[in-house]
Amino acid sequence: MTGWGALLAAEWRKVTTTKMVWVLTLVAVALSTVNVVPTVLLASGTISGGVETLGEGQLQNPAFITTVLSQAGTGALFALILGVIAMTGEYRHMTITSTFLAEPRRGRVVTAKMVLYAGLGAAMAVVVVLAVAVATYATLLPFDHTPLTAAMVGRVFVGAVIGMALYAILGVSIGALIRSQVAAIIAVVVWVLLLEAIVSALLPAVAKWLPGGALSAAMDVGMRADMTGSFTTADVLPGWAAIGLLLVYAVVFAAIASRTTIRRDIT
Amino acid sequence: MPPVAPTELRVEGLTKVFRKGVKAVDDLSFDVQPGRVTGFLGPNGSGKTTTLRCLLGLVTPTSGRALVGSHAYTAPPQPMSTVGASLEASGFHPGRSGRNHLRVVATTMGIADTRVDEVLHLVGLTPAARRRVVEYSLGMRQRLALAAALLADPPVLILDEPTNGLDPEGIAWLRAFLQERARQGGTVLVSSHLLSEVQQTVDDVVIIRKGSLVHAGPLSELGGDGAAPVVVRTPDPERLVDALGAGAQVTRRPDGAIVVTGASPAEVGHAAFLAGCELHELSAGMRDLERVFLELTGDQS
Ligand SMILES: Nc1ncnc2c1ncn2[C@@H]1O[C@H](COP(=O)(O)OP(=O)(O)OP(=O)(O)O)[C@@H](O)[C@H]1O
Ligand SMILES: [Mg+2]
Repeated sequence: MTGWGALLAAEWRKVTTTKMVWVLTLVAVALSTVNVVPTVLLASGTISGGVETLGEGQLQNPAFITTVLSQAGTGALFALILGVIAMTGEYRHMTITSTFLAEPRRGRVVTAKMVLYAGLGAAMAVVVVLAVAVATYATLLPFDHTPLTAAMVGRVFVGAVIGMALYAILGVSIGALIRSQVAAIIAVVVWVLLLEAIVSALLPAVAKWLPGGALSAAMDVGMRADMTGSFTTADVLPGWAAIGLLLVYAVVFAAIASRTTIRRDIT
Repeated sequence: MPPVAPTELRVEGLTKVFRKGVKAVDDLSFDVQPGRVTGFLGPNGSGKTTTLRCLLGLVTPTSGRALVGSHAYTAPPQPMSTVGASLEASGFHPGRSGRNHLRVVATTMGIADTRVDEVLHLVGLTPAARRRVVEYSLGMRQRLALAAALLADPPVLILDEPTNGLDPEGIAWLRAFLQERARQGGTVLVSSHLLSEVQQTVDDVVIIRKGSLVHAGPLSELGGDGAAPVVVRTPDPERLVDALGAGAQVTRRPDGAIVVTGASPAEVGHAAFLAGCELHELSAGMRDLERVFLELTGDQS
């Protein structure tokens, strides 16, 4: 009678009996809020150099404020890593043996993991967006600025929650494909921090079709920092299309991962 | 153990070639009967673990089949209620406590947490239940692996090197436990690379070498070529050797004991009595199964 409920409950117990999720969420919050204060201070002229590159009056520009809020997107890398560790951890510690002994229908196990980690990715997004919104609000307080509206936060919130849920699914899939924890983490970090950044600087028309580009679009980032640090209007997909594209990435990777995981030997 | 239909294990023409062309199991066939403890023996790298993993649906055979009862392990929805397995005392998250490891497995099977505490008690792990597995000794991890296998109280046990790391008390307990399971009709398959380790536990043996079967059958039929040797201690060895005559072969052990082959303990005792020879020990030694085992599995055969 191993139903979906039992599988999800078992996955949840795996989460609550290790510290991994809490540690990653903490790091995600720290790294996504850390840029908020300097960005706002630069734009306000409190720190020199900002007004020259960004231009006067950015604090009056709603698109700039949205861009600051979109720092929450930094958390997506950690949703990805969360999924990667969830899956590769089973191989690293060989708990995959007892997992597949208890439920030999491997596709179900991987699916249950994806469902649960999509939820955890979304929960991580909630925490990260709230932290970034609070940090942004607090840093803007002393300055004359365009109001930080619920609509702005709401848009980033929806984009981040859906985006990070799908990123966590991507992470589980990539973990199932690569299996080596170190290799998989290096792969996603290089992808997100290096390859996507290079492509987005050199070939923005291609970058908008990549997961990172779709995630930015889902969070409605009207502007984007280029390699020199200045802001330009980004070439991005419409929000709904971006979410659809992320969904396609997640489904395709999940399908490939389930297929290969089902066939591989556990030794 | 709940009363269930006896379940046998069947390995039929099993072959496993790993990528890179390693042939770990080579056309292997044998049966494991319920109601008996079966030892699965072979030197390091002979393919024991690979065969057991095929039985448990973790490794896909290149050809042939490995069945639990009449179907593959992966066929019924909840195989762990039929088969409990422990594989080389590995497969624990180091940061999780032993108890939490079992709770995770129990949750998947819909087994209550109270059963987790029962099996922990059964394997003598209650005092360490809440400690992280990283702090466990090899013997403690071995006990934890056994506890996981027993969660659903299954009629079939498949244990890979279960005595590895266990202390003598643990080994004696496991021996009695497995024999009791078999007596109740359970099927028990235990692997080892040492015959002497399971010799006192098993009824049947399956011996493999380089992935192929070399012997399968009751332990009593293994190396049935001669009677067991007799070990004797006496302060006057020369007189005893003379008294035994030419029919018996005598060797002297470095510790002073005399090992007699070709005579029963009664015959040796009688000869000593007639010769007026004082005896300090007269015992039947084990037949030298380890030697038979080495001959079966060694390279020269
Ligand atoms: N995943 C794998 N890839 C390639 N070769 C493998 C793999 N797993 C096992 N082997 C090889 O298969 C052979 C049998 O290994 P196996 O672990 O089944 O032996 P074993 O009898 O359990 O040995 P031991 O007594 O040391 O536990 C060995 O030559 C081993 O190197
Ligand atoms: Mg082995």
